Amino acid sequence: MKQDYFSSNNIKHIDYKDTDILKKFINANGKIMSHKRTGVTSKNQRQLALAIKHSRFMGLLPFVAR
Amino acid sequence: MEENTKKVIKEEGDARVYEVGYLLSNAIEEGDVAAEYGNLKELVSSLGGEIISDEMPKDIELAYTIEKVIANIKHKFNNAYFGWVKFAMDPEKVLELKKKLDLDVKIVRFLILKTVRENTVATKKFARATEGGAVTKKYTPKIRAEGEEVPEINKEEIDKEIDAMIEA
Repeated sequence: MKQDYFSSNNIKHIDYKDTDILKKFINANGKIMSHKRTGVTSKNQRQLALAIKHSRFMGLLPFVAR
Repeated sequence: MEENTKKVIKEEGDARVYEVGYLLSNAIEEGDVAAEYGNLKELVSSLGGEIISDEMPKDIELAYTIEKVIANIKHKFNNAYFGWVKFAMDPEKVLELKKKLDLDVKIVRFLILKTVRENTVATKKFARATEGGAVTKKYTPKIRAEGEEVPEINKEEIDKEIDAMIEA
């Protein structure tokens, strides 16, 4: 099993401005990766999805790529 | 003295920590960005906001084209200045702030979020964490049991073996 990225790096708040981190959790099409692939805890996955959506709204991440 | 402390507590209890992320139109010249950034901070403080942290707007390439209608003309943006301000403010005042930002034509988009006082941008913390937290295994010589014999090393034999290996 993969470890939770956020708890292992001691990140308590997932920020929408951290595009470098968020980019790890979107696929080539710009879709948010599933729980299964990310191995992130449910709580963090929810925060992560929200952060990615905020980031998309601000034009930092794409809604669709390619 | 007691009254003062009570006031402070009350103020802190009322205020909430918010963050505004915004995109400034790239139609503004680079020199004016700083002024615009100052104006926004002033606006926040004028509404009783206590600025916690912020970042200068930086020119970024947007991930997709953002359209905005300004004065009945549709504008397309591929680049914009992205900046943010974190502040503590009374929840009722934030609505006013939103209304004011809505009217600002220089702001392409903005996002008001509730957040926490601590720094949430992980990249800096991250670098520090890897610096200090990097686990480097220390070499600890194996402790041999007392009775265990250490096999003696014959230097000449090893030399011969090495020579043989080099030749082969």
